[in-house]
Amino acid sequence: MSKTLSLLIFLVMTAFFACFFAYPIWAALETAFRGPDHKFTLDYVSEVFLNALYREGLWNSFIIAVWTTLGALCVALPLAVCYVRFAFPGRALLNSLVLMPMILPPFVGAIGIKTMLGQAGALNSLLINLGLMDAMHPTDWLGQHRMLGIIIMEVLHLYPIIYLNAAAALSNLDPALEEAAANLGSNAWNRFWRVTLPLIMPGVFAGGTIVFVWSFTEMGVPLLFDYDRVTAVQVFRSINDLSGNPFPYALVAVMLVFSTLFYLTSKLLFGSSSAGGGGRATTGRETINLPSWLGWACTAFFAFVTFLAVLPHLGVVLLSFSKDWYGTVIPHSLTLEHYRDALGHELTLSSIANSLKYSALAMLLALFLGIGVAYVSVRTRIWGRQILDAMAMLPLAVPGIVMAFGYLAMTREGQPFHWLMLGEDPLLLLVIAYAVRRLPYVVRSAAAGFQQVSPTLEEAAQNLGARPEKALWRITLPLVTPNLVAGGLLAFSFAMLEVSDSMILAQQSAYFPITKAIYSLVLALGSGPNLASALGVWAMIFLAVTILGAGVILGKKLGALFRG
Amino acid sequence: MVTITIQELTKRFGGSVVLSSVNLQIDAGELFFLLGPSGCGKTTLLRHIAGFYTPDEGKIWFDDEEVTRLPAHKRGTGMMFQSYALWPHLNVAQNVAFGLEERKRPRKEIEHRVAQALEQVKLSGLGSRKIQQLSGGQQQRVALARALVIRPKCLLLDEPLSNLDAKLRLEMRTEIRQICKQHGLTAIYVTHDRDEALSMADRMAIMESGKLAQVGAPAEIYRNPATRMVAEFIGETNFIEGRALRESSREGFYDVETPFGVLRGRTDGTWQPAAGQPVLLSIRPESLTFGNVLDSPNRFPGHIVDTTYLGATVQYLVQIHGGPLMKVCETNPQEIRLPSDEATRAMAAMNDVVILRK
Repeated sequence: MSKTLSLLIFLVMTAFFACFFAYPIWAALETAFRGPDHKFTLDYVSEVFLNALYREGLWNSFIIAVWTTLGALCVALPLAVCYVRFAFPGRALLNSLVLMPMILPPFVGAIGIKTMLGQAGALNSLLINLGLMDAMHPTDWLGQHRMLGIIIMEVLHLYPIIYLNAAAALSNLDPALEEAAANLGSNAWNRFWRVTLPLIMPGVFAGGTIVFVWSFTEMGVPLLFDYDRVTAVQVFRSINDLSGNPFPYALVAVMLVFSTLFYLTSKLLFGSSSAGGGGRATTGRETINLPSWLGWACTAFFAFVTFLAVLPHLGVVLLSFSKDWYGTVIPHSLTLEHYRDALGHELTLSSIANSLKYSALAMLLALFLGIGVAYVSVRTRIWGRQILDAMAMLPLAVPGIVMAFGYLAMTREGQPFHWLMLGEDPLLLLVIAYAVRRLPYVVRSAAAGFQQVSPTLEEAAQNLGARPEKALWRITLPLVTPNLVAGGLLAFSFAMLEVSDSMILAQQSAYFPITKAIYSLVLALGSGPNLASALGVWAMIFLAVTILGAGVILGKKLGALFRG
Repeated sequence: MVTITIQELTKRFGGSVVLSSVNLQIDAGELFFLLGPSGCGKTTLLRHIAGFYTPDEGKIWFDDEEVTRLPAHKRGTGMMFQSYALWPHLNVAQNVAFGLEERKRPRKEIEHRVAQALEQVKLSGLGSRKIQQLSGGQQQRVALARALVIRPKCLLLDEPLSNLDAKLRLEMRTEIRQICKQHGLTAIYVTHDRDEALSMADRMAIMESGKLAQVGAPAEIYRNPATRMVAEFIGETNFIEGRALRESSREGFYDVETPFGVLRGRTDGTWQPAAGQPVLLSIRPESLTFGNVLDSPNRFPGHIVDTTYLGATVQYLVQIHGGPLMKVCETNPQEIRLPSDEATRAMAAMNDVVILRK
């Protein structure tokens, strides 16, 4: 590719990032740090720390993030070790099933959890039927243990990120490194703690950081649990009196600083150490054949985790079919009514249409940007390409809620980007927001493709008379298509699932995407939750199809997309 | 120091047999080589001895102790991996100390022995370096120190020099052999490099598709290869097909009829060709000469078609009249013959013509 074109792409990308990544963050920060007299002030931020309510919110968010990360580690690490090391019945199938939670929107699952753990929910009914609970005094699980509910829900949603990272790190490990330890007299237990674990730590931590930042800033799940004492929800609640109130911005600024700190700390601690070892791997790893009862134990472990992870969503499916589900383990009677009603409800059809529109456009934009960034960073040698690549990965570290507030801040009346609002229609804003948030997945996916396709293939085409652009178009792009399709599908389905931007940027019900429609249906009285469930089931089916497609196309490389 | 005995070892991966009824004894203190083309099973055999594989059939003994099913971490062997397998999260000294720590040696002793081991491989003072900061040759030495420091029952080396450049490889050959001899170690060394094996081994085994083709001392194998594969693998050679006539007038030599005359050679002494039996003659390029060989009927009339000058030697490709192309190698050549149609003649001593079963 000609140098001019590379430079042009580089400049366009940089300009886009400046406008729609750096500037929104700046805009949010500016509001948080600028006093009424337009001077720099720390008043709002210090107020956040002085206010007991905000402080509690931050503390709770932190606690949730810590426990979620630990919980996800405890679930994911043993799974990853079992998968990479052992042969057991149903290994391949369970490996994909265990990733299911990725496509199950947790805040939809929260509806299911609420129904099942409520005072007259399935769990209590089961316990009463088994004679383990007094029917007169059912436990209000969610009343007393809402935070636990949130943590469980998030662990079950996020463990696949660590699982994918740990499994990839484990299978990339040169088996000779462990064999050398065995040769020197180290037994299996010591080998794991002294050699294996330290070596896969960078991979595990990359996943752990994403999980930590994700759960620290998660808004959808606590919102559906009606748990107001976490920062993300406090920010969302204060959005209504937005115009003049700088406190949500100050909260957002604090969140950003914390997230960035966590991210940087883990990068500093584990980013630099390479687990490559000396030389190439000389022996392929063989899976160990376990005695059959141990093999079945692995199978049972995988199946159990999958079952737990899917349970809330099974609840959602049941709820969407149930006429009434009160005080029984499973619903009394089933009906298709809610699906019919859901299709008839004004919010449903328009929200599905909106989400499809936003997500499809966002996918195209993310693909366009992602291909550009990946190409420049893999194939050219121009100055600053690594910076561009690093920039494109940054949205992983920046909480969605921060970005959402940034977009809000930069499109306020009187701001240079006010025109993006298109009156009340958040189309442009949401498309940009979705695209920027999911850009890292597209970039990694495309970059992986470009790295696999040798530049000599393109050079051969040029040697035979193709112009550089033509060579790119006819040779390289077709070869990386699978990666692009997979990255695009991921971007699309994550956009369909997006919560924070959707909640904050879409204010008029006519423009609601699916996620916000589900939220407002849950709040509605009567059959609202059932309708929300029906809509949620539609969304899940949709996502399942797209992600399965991406998984099939990308195969094992799916895991590489979730590394920080 | 142990004697390693391998009995009827058989291993299958999936449907394919990678080791088939291998019998071998490696004596205490011996530097033993497993040599063969890639995929012949030499590394698999080594990994059985280390305990990373369990055989489908057969047994392995260390002296009088059967270790066939003993897990790798209880065998007390010291192995050097082809990739070195140095742990990147530990520094040089920590890598070397690992095995001693697993053996729960006292702190003081560990420090002392690690320092000693590093000194032995000429890495004194580099203990606190990270693995990534070392050159390939230094990494190789750390791997050696790590295997030696535990005073292993036997040292297992899996192509330890294959990642080094040519000059370093030559240096390390001598050094590894010296260290083994100094400690009186039983060592098994896997390689596909015949020069390495010839120059270092006490004895060696040539392997071919999961079987031992021949076991013996380097000179024995080079001079008396048992099969075509061994003759070819251990050095350059020329093959000529023929039919045995009868025992010749000279005791121990046999006449063989070939398309371009009767040649006279010897077997490895373990068998005699029957009259009329189809055989293969193996004649090494360096045993052919354009000069005169007294008392030899082995003449190869032809003309030179190609000349390769290699400094110490010159290699000629000679088209034998009525026969095949043959390689002839002259050391310290007085004159360099150029390719021409001019007739010339190469000769070989009777003792240098080895008769192989076909």
